[in-house]
Amino acid sequence: MNPPILELRSITKSIDTGAHRVDILRGIELTIDRGEFVAIMGASGSGKSTLLGLLAGLDSPSTGDILLDGEIISSLPEDSLAAIRGRKIGFVFQSYQLIPTLTAEENVLLPAELAGESSSSCLERARHLLDTVGLAERRDHYPVQLSGGEQQRVALARAFMRKPPLLLADEPTGNLDSTNGRQVLGLLLSLNRAEGATLVLVTHDHELASHATRIITLKDGLVVSDVRKGDAA
Amino acid sequence: MNLWTTALKIASREARASALKFLFVAFGVAAGVGALTGVRGFSSAFRDTLRREARTLMAADIAVRQFNPPTAEQDAAAKRYTDQGAVVTHIIETVSMMDSAASSAPPILVSIKAVDPQQYPFYGKFELDPPARLRDVLNAESIVVSDDLAIRMDLSQGSTVRLGGQEFRVAGIVRAEPDRMTGSLNIGPRVMITRDGLDRTGLMQFGSRASHRLLFKSPEPRFNLEAMKTDLRKTFTDARVATAREAHPAIERALDRSTTFLSLVSLIALIVGALGVATSVHAHLQQRLDTIAIMKCLGARSSQIIGIYTIQTGLLAVAGGLAGVGVGAAVQLLFPVLLMKYFRFEAAMHWSPAFAIEGIATGLLVTLLFTLPPLLSIRRVKPALIFRREMAEVRPPLSERLRRQLPSLVSGALILLGLGAIAGWLADSARMGWMFIGGLAVSLVILSGVAWALLRALRWTVQKGPWRLPVPVRQGIANLYRPGNHAGAVLVSLGIGVMFTLSIYLIQKSLLAEVAGAAPPNAPNVFMINITPREHDGLKTLLDAQPVTSADPKAKPRLIPLISARLMTINGQPLQLGGLRRWERRFSQARQVSYLPEKPDDIQIREGQWWDPSSKEPFVALEEEAAVILKVKPGDTLRYSVTGREFDARLTAVYRIISAGPGGAGETLFNPAALESFPRQYFGLARMPAGSVQKFQRDAYAKFPTVTVVNAADVISIIQEVVDQVSLLVRFVAGFAIAAGVIILMATVAGTRFRRMREAAVLKTLGARRRQLLGIFSVEFLVLGLVAGLMGGLLATAFSRLLMTRLLDAEFRVEWLPNAVTVLLVGALSLLAGWLASARVLPQKPLQVLRDE
Repeated sequence: MNPPILELRSITKSIDTGAHRVDILRGIELTIDRGEFVAIMGASGSGKSTLLGLLAGLDSPSTGDILLDGEIISSLPEDSLAAIRGRKIGFVFQSYQLIPTLTAEENVLLPAELAGESSSSCLERARHLLDTVGLAERRDHYPVQLSGGEQQRVALARAFMRKPPLLLADEPTGNLDSTNGRQVLGLLLSLNRAEGATLVLVTHDHELASHATRIITLKDGLVVSDVRKGDAA
Repeated sequence: MNLWTTALKIASREARASALKFLFVAFGVAAGVGALTGVRGFSSAFRDTLRREARTLMAADIAVRQFNPPTAEQDAAAKRYTDQGAVVTHIIETVSMMDSAASSAPPILVSIKAVDPQQYPFYGKFELDPPARLRDVLNAESIVVSDDLAIRMDLSQGSTVRLGGQEFRVAGIVRAEPDRMTGSLNIGPRVMITRDGLDRTGLMQFGSRASHRLLFKSPEPRFNLEAMKTDLRKTFTDARVATAREAHPAIERALDRSTTFLSLVSLIALIVGALGVATSVHAHLQQRLDTIAIMKCLGARSSQIIGIYTIQTGLLAVAGGLAGVGVGAAVQLLFPVLLMKYFRFEAAMHWSPAFAIEGIATGLLVTLLFTLPPLLSIRRVKPALIFRREMAEVRPPLSERLRRQLPSLVSGALILLGLGAIAGWLADSARMGWMFIGGLAVSLVILSGVAWALLRALRWTVQKGPWRLPVPVRQGIANLYRPGNHAGAVLVSLGIGVMFTLSIYLIQKSLLAEVAGAAPPNAPNVFMINITPREHDGLKTLLDAQPVTSADPKAKPRLIPLISARLMTINGQPLQLGGLRRWERRFSQARQVSYLPEKPDDIQIREGQWWDPSSKEPFVALEEEAAVILKVKPGDTLRYSVTGREFDARLTAVYRIISAGPGGAGETLFNPAALESFPRQYFGLARMPAGSVQKFQRDAYAKFPTVTVVNAADVISIIQEVVDQVSLLVRFVAGFAIAAGVIILMATVAGTRFRRMREAAVLKTLGARRRQLLGIFSVEFLVLGLVAGLMGGLLATAFSRLLMTRLLDAEFRVEWLPNAVTVLLVGALSLLAGWLASARVLPQKPLQVLRDE
């Protein structure tokens, strides 16, 4: 049997500011299986963004191990992590994080190019994804020429570019109005279904979380509840 | 697809998207490379022109002078060079009595110069009256005579004279003899003759005392004369072998120093340009931090990102370099046209591709060197930056902080070494390279220290001070120490830029004072010899009645006493002359010396001190070459013999003659107490308008027939022209480099504007009016400019002093006025640059800017 896509063993994370120590995560045990749609919830400062950063290997835990696809990533050097991210993880950020000097299409192509792929099939896929998010016409526009919703849709296309098994999203609709938010969420869910990825999403929006198959709630750096849909009753 | 093509692709996409910002970075490179290639090309072309001018004073590229005819071995050595295309001509100089065939006047001692009129002179114009070419009129039967001799013996074209019992026809009067000043003046008026003519006189048959000169003309302009000189010295063991540059030590020094100075200026242009590059590239990469973090999230390895930005900056450097080479070429082509009426050009300026390649390569290397620290810091950019921008500043322990700074320190050291290597290479001197590294490193440390202390002091003033400062002042100062601000970096680069730019000014100012001293406008152009005390007063009266060229008391004619003295012992020991060349053994013979109470203007004390004019003790001062040959230093006691009477004089000073023509100072000077009681002759010096010299010669002859008056107006004017052109060149190149420096400094300040855009937008949304923003920025720029000006000025004074005394071997005078002006000027420029840069920032709509982020 395949290992779980993500496994967290006794994760802690603290930041030493010199004057005092802040414990952000205080011992997280967690396993996420393939195909799950997990929403991580919690108030501001509960540690949910830090947790997401650790899952992606963007930061390393103070103690504990993180296994991605059965491989310990918490102690890998930065460049190996980057390669794993490029291959296995797609990102969607609250503030889009498109590269301002690249056009929409180039932004979508970037993960493939960074991995050294640039066949015509890549270009086709990028255009297909832009078409899926409804921006085929605007592929030559720069991020500043796009609205927030449009930028986030480009970011979605970019996240799926390399068919990652794991998709991490940090408040993907946090900066959008409700109409645009719903549109982005709809696209995120349908793309996720079509691509068959595991989706981990950080949010404090209950409506967004209600679409998830599993809701994990953090408080003061600890998991206080972990509910799977159907268990609730 | 490999790493480099991906990197190239992404790099070029980025460049396309923000062409304007990239232009700005490239501008820094272009200014630096432009200054470098412009200065290098310009000065190289001028150096050639000036060298050509200088060699006319010797009429050759190399002259070998000895008291024996060349031996077979020496002729063979000369032939080795003629085989390579060099031309050589043999000149013999001797003295003899000459009388006029027509009159019964007593014979006159003349200095005879036998030349080959087909060859002589290689350079410069030999002018005759009536106008004719030397080769057409000078033959075995004829001579040409100097104007002073013509007057004394009442000669004109067609007169007949007798030399060594043979009759010669006077074919013309010499109006200009380019190498007149290379021989000795003290012998007598000049007669020019052919070798055949000299043979006819029979004067050379009895081992008569004569000096032989071999003049060489190099086969091609770029021939290595120094190597040739060294080689010739091996065969001509007793001779004085000199290149044209050495014909006049003062001119040589002027040329040498200006050459060193020009290399120095190119270097400084390069460093200041590099600063422009460094600050622009650094600002550029700072803005890319987010992009870098995103790319890391998307799977980019550090090496990939470093590759992307290395390629990008490399492309920028090449683009800027090409533009800079264009600017440099334009400078070289344009300025000669503008300056044509001040400079005399023999040949058109040539544009050398070598300088272009050198410029681009240097620009690329410097850019990459300076990009190294920011590029290395890419490795430390944490992708988590995207999530936790607000993450508190974590202050790790010192060892950890040092470890993190290691790449910066290593790359800093690399930059210094790289710049030093380029400096040494450009200046062709490892010593200069090390001085640059040293100067730069010390300045960096001092400036960083001052920036650190200043920012803390300002912070204290604003936060803890007992006063309430106006809002713009408080905000402006707060901007300087806010986290993430580059005030420290800008201060350091501004300070370094000011230091180097001001150094150019200070050095050129001190240098010009010395160069101008080599041929002051009032330098004497008429010389009188064989003046007895009986004639002294009368001649003085006649001289004082002559028209003057200037009311300057220094331009007044002077009569300097001459006494024949012979050095006997040094500190009681007889002279040790073994191992000296014959040329150097002259000090063991009786030499013409002089005395005077006060230090004359045309010498510079190198060691010891001038004597107290009122002292009754005998003192002596020696020229520096003489002091080296005799191995003496101030404090030594020298025993001289004058007319059989011996006396001891204490050596108080060793001096250098800074004027190019014969001035009052010979190789040995005494105080009046030492020599006043001895019989003497006088040597006369005067400055007259060139047109009135001939009349003076006639008048002087009428009253004082035994006094020889030498007209050196032509030669002195050539010397002055060379010196004037050197000064003009130095001034022009320095001006150009300073202008480039100012532009780059302004660009450094303006380079902070992208950071300022966001700041302005945020302040505007909070209700700040434009005037308030301008006030805030102005305080910030003004403080930066004033402090950088002050520190840069102080460092420049120290650096210039180091370079002047150690490298240029010259005096340096500290001047405070330029420093004060610099502080104010840099403050004002910084303010101006800040305003210019903010002019585009201020009117922008806040939302536009915030959305761009």
